[in-house]
Amino acid sequence: MSSSLSGASPDYDLAVIGAGPAGQAACLSLNGALRIAVIDEQARPGGQILRQPPRAFSVADWMTGRAYRGLKARLAAFEALSNVDFMGGRSVLGLREAGGAWTLTLSGPSGVEEVSARRVLIAGGCYDLAVPIPGWTLPGVMSAGGTQAFIKSQQLVPGKRLAFAGSHPLQLLVAEQALEAGGEVAVVAFIQPFSTLVWRAITRPWAALTHGAVLLSALGSAWRLFRAGVPLRFGRPALSVEGQGRVSALRLGQTERFECDAAALCFGFMPQADLPRAAGLQVTPARPGGWKTNHDEWMRASRRGAYVAGETTGVKGAEAASAEGALAGLAVALDEGLIDQDEARRRARPWRKAREAAMWFSALLEAVADPGPFSARLPDADTIICRCEDVVLADLQAALARCDEVGSVKLATRCGMGACQGRNCEHSLLSLAGEPHSERSAFTARFPARPVRIGDLAAR
Amino acid sequence: MRKTQGVSRGEPFAFSVDGDAIQAYPGETIAAAMLAAEATGFRRDRSGRARGLFCNMGVCSECLVHVREGDVSRRLRACLVPAEPGMTVETGLGE
Repeated sequence: MSSSLSGASPDYDLAVIGAGPAGQAACLSLNGALRIAVIDEQARPGGQILRQPPRAFSVADWMTGRAYRGLKARLAAFEALSNVDFMGGRSVLGLREAGGAWTLTLSGPSGVEEVSARRVLIAGGCYDLAVPIPGWTLPGVMSAGGTQAFIKSQQLVPGKRLAFAGSHPLQLLVAEQALEAGGEVAVVAFIQPFSTLVWRAITRPWAALTHGAVLLSALGSAWRLFRAGVPLRFGRPALSVEGQGRVSALRLGQTERFECDAAALCFGFMPQADLPRAAGLQVTPARPGGWKTNHDEWMRASRRGAYVAGETTGVKGAEAASAEGALAGLAVALDEGLIDQDEARRRARPWRKAREAAMWFSALLEAVADPGPFSARLPDADTIICRCEDVVLADLQAALARCDEVGSVKLATRCGMGACQGRNCEHSLLSLAGEPHSERSAFTARFPARPVRIGDLAAR
Repeated sequence: MRKTQGVSRGEPFAFSVDGDAIQAYPGETIAAAMLAAEATGFRRDRSGRARGLFCNMGVCSECLVHVREGDVSRRLRACLVPAEPGMTVETGLGE
C-alpha cells in the first residue's frame, strides 16, 4: 500500500489518526467526498468513549445511557461510510511530510507498512494521567480509564474487589459500572476534601447549571454507591497501595486500609501528544499535564496539511471532540476547494456553538478534578516514577540537584528512556524540575511512538 | 471476572502463558484472558518484581509480553492483541 516515492500520488486524500468521536465527525462532515484512511489501534472504531466489544461477542444493552445516544448514532453513520478505509489494529509509529504529502509508518498484524495522504488529521485522544503513589507498580493497580475500558469492551471486571482513588469524579461512574457488572467496590477515595470539590463547582455556576445533567449523573453515581454500602472518602491525599507480588489493599493515610485485589487510579487525562510533537507541530503545556497541540480556528496545526481535533488539542470530552472533528472536516473540504468560505462558515456555526458550550463544562471539570502539581505532594522517596526504567523519586531528586536540564536528568537516570517514551513520567519530572516549562526543555519525542520489533522495521 | 449476564461469547479455546493453559473466548485480548485467569503479572522489572498492566489502551507498555510465532518472538502489548488458539505467550524479563 506504500507509495511514498517522489512523483507517485499519495494513497489517500486524507489520513485520520484515531477513530473516536473527532475522527468520525471529520469523516462525516466531508459528506462522502475524498478517499480517507482512518487508522486506530483498536480493532473497531469508537475511541475510548465507545470502545466496542469484540465482533465475536454479543452484548445486550451495550452503553444504553442517554449521554451515549448521539455518539452511538454518529458511530453507526461513520461505520456505513463507503469512502473510508478503516485500518484497525494498527499503531502509527511516526509521520513525516515531504513534497506535499504526509507518510505515516504503521505497525499492525501484517508487520510494518506505510500509508501516504495529502492531508493528515491527528485525533489520537487522551490517556490517564499517571500519578505515582507508593505501591502503584504492583500488579492489579490500573488506571481508571483502563478499568472502564475492560468493562465496556471486553465485558470484564479486572478484579473481584476494586478500590478507587484519585481526584477525578469519573471514578464514581467507573465504580458504579464495576458494581453493575458484578464486581465489589472496596472504597472510592478522593484526595480533595468534599468542600473543595463543591466549591470549585459552585464558583463556576454558569457551567454547573448548563451541564447540570452531567454533574447530577456523577452525584447520582455517588448516591447509588453510598446506598450499596460502598465507603466514600474525601480529603485523603496520602494514598498508597500494599501487596506482595500483587495488590492486596489500598491505604488512605496511617489509619484506613481497604482490602482489595485491584485498584484503579483516577487523576484526570492528558492528550496523546507523541505524534504531533514528533511531526514538529507546535504544542502548549496542558493541565493537569502533557501537551495540547496548537491550531487555528479551522483546526489547522502549525504545519501545512496537518489538522488536529478532539483531546489532541486539550482534554474536553466527547461532545467538544465531535465538534472539533466536524470543524476539521469542513476545513479540509474548504482547503480542498470542495466548498467555499461562506458554506464552510455557515456549516461550522452550530459546531462552534456546541464546542463553546462543551468548553465551559470541561473547564469546570478540569478545576474540580485538578490533582494539583505533583511536586506539591510527593510520595515516599523510593516510589518508582519512571515505570519502564525503574527510576525512583530519590534518583530524580539527586539528579536534579546536579543539573537542572530535564534532558540531562533523562541521560543520567534513564527516566523516560523506556518503551512508553516518557508518556507516564515526563509530566512528573517536569513538575519536579519546576515550572514554567516549554516543549523545548522537555523530552524529545522520537520515532517510533509505539514499540515495534526492529526486525519488522528493517523488513520494510 | 468476566461479566456473563447479557453477554454471549463464542466457543472458548486454550492458549499458553508461561506453559500454563489459559482459557480465552474469540475476540478477547491476551490481557483480558490473563486477568480473567487471575494471571496479573505481565513482565518483570530490573529487580525481578512482577509488573501488571496499567493503562489498557496501548500507552504504557507495561503489558508487553513475548508472543512466539514459529521462530519469531515479538514483544507485543497484551492489551491490544487478541488471544488465538495455540498461541504461545511468555511473561518475564523485559528484553
